[in-house]
Amino acid sequence: MTRAGTVKCVVWDIDNTLLDGVYLESGDQPPAADPVLAGVLAQLGGRGILHALASKNPPEAAAHTARVTGWQFAAAECGWDSKSAALARIAAGLGIGIDTLAFVDDDPYERAEVGSALPQVLVLSPEEAAEAAGWPEFSPPVVTAEARGRGQMYAQRQRRQAAGRAFAGTREAFLRAAGTEVTIAAATSADVPRLHELALRTRQFNSAAGQPAGGEATQEWFTQLLSARDHDVVTVRLRDTFGDDGVVGGCVIAHEPGTWTVPLLMMSCRAMGRGVIDAVLAWLIRQAARAGAGQLRIPCTANTRNVPLRLALAAAGLRAPHAGGPGPAVYQRDLSGTLPALPAGVRAPGEPPGEGQ
Amino acid sequence: MTAAGRPGCPGMPGSLQLAAVTDDLRAFLASATGRDELRHIPAGTELFGPAVGLDSLTGTLLLREIQRRYGVDVAAEDLNLDSLATLGTLAAFVASRSDPPGPP
Repeated sequence: MTRAGTVKCVVWDIDNTLLDGVYLESGDQPPAADPVLAGVLAQLGGRGILHALASKNPPEAAAHTARVTGWQFAAAECGWDSKSAALARIAAGLGIGIDTLAFVDDDPYERAEVGSALPQVLVLSPEEAAEAAGWPEFSPPVVTAEARGRGQMYAQRQRRQAAGRAFAGTREAFLRAAGTEVTIAAATSADVPRLHELALRTRQFNSAAGQPAGGEATQEWFTQLLSARDHDVVTVRLRDTFGDDGVVGGCVIAHEPGTWTVPLLMMSCRAMGRGVIDAVLAWLIRQAARAGAGQLRIPCTANTRNVPLRLALAAAGLRAPHAGGPGPAVYQRDLSGTLPALPAGVRAPGEPPGEGQ
Repeated sequence: MTAAGRPGCPGMPGSLQLAAVTDDLRAFLASATGRDELRHIPAGTELFGPAVGLDSLTGTLLLREIQRRYGVDVAAEDLNLDSLATLGTLAAFVASRSDPPGPP
């Protein structure tokens, strides 16, 4: 299956692939970068595609490769483990699916090993990779500012995760200490490409599985809703002292008499564990109740990919009758009774600025 | 995937199994959240309530651990996740489904 823009991360071999030679056999004159592939790194990186390293070499080889190619790699696996195991760790560390990886290696044995252990990975020789920029798999339909900065954001994420592991305290305390800020705001036409991109790319946190209200979440769909009187389109931004992630989520709200319905709720999995989805759901519940609605409804088809979103819905008190097994369902919550507090560090329309609570 | 001799291995009598699963879940929640006091919460504690505060990240880790340890895919068998109401309801759900089929 070759869908446009399916590759999110290219995992590169080092020796005789990104380097013009073998690192450990070159003495004190380590090899230079392969000029053609260094150009491919920059070209694909500009489209928001990540790059990572998997090499049977000591870690210094990765540092050297980063230096001579001038590229900041989102992950590097150096060791003598199988390449397929390295790819699986890279995908898990970046929080992306193995089926979104491509793998480039000059060694036909390594290509065969990855191809057989992980058939969902796109496996290429360096010669093929040199032309990959022209292939649909490496051509995302939309490229936003968030996408172009994605490599840098993954590097920030590694620093944030290291600080989080070293932090003595709960995750909530760490998020506060890191100055986490979630900003919910009305979308403008400038946000439409990013909202469209999120609608295409999100899986774990996408209530509509790409098909809100039975249709595709195209740019035209968002644009049309921006001027619709009975709909709101909302963006969610995230930042902390480690970096600015930009727009990481969004939702569409349909106002009906007595009810708020959310035909699309989505968030990048990169923002998972940072209180974003919980903030959005708490805000929706509070605002719907204040507007006089009796019920909040979020249609969501349960599948194996969106377990994290279903957990967030359940945590926010939304339930769905799944009488007939898997399939479309509407998660709903009654809005009488105590409203949830807005978490600290959240700025949102209709809420007083400050620390929240 | 449940190693013999571990708490919660198949074949234990029902009530013993339930107590073992409950303790196992307490220990996992304490380590996943870094909050040691969760080792002592009563079975009636709401998982989404303030005491535990299960969110999508901790919840995903918890369900993955349950699947690894007991072979029970809670999210697939309970689409509405009603079993996550309290520690006790989740432990009962897992215990009732992880009973034999014994070793292959």
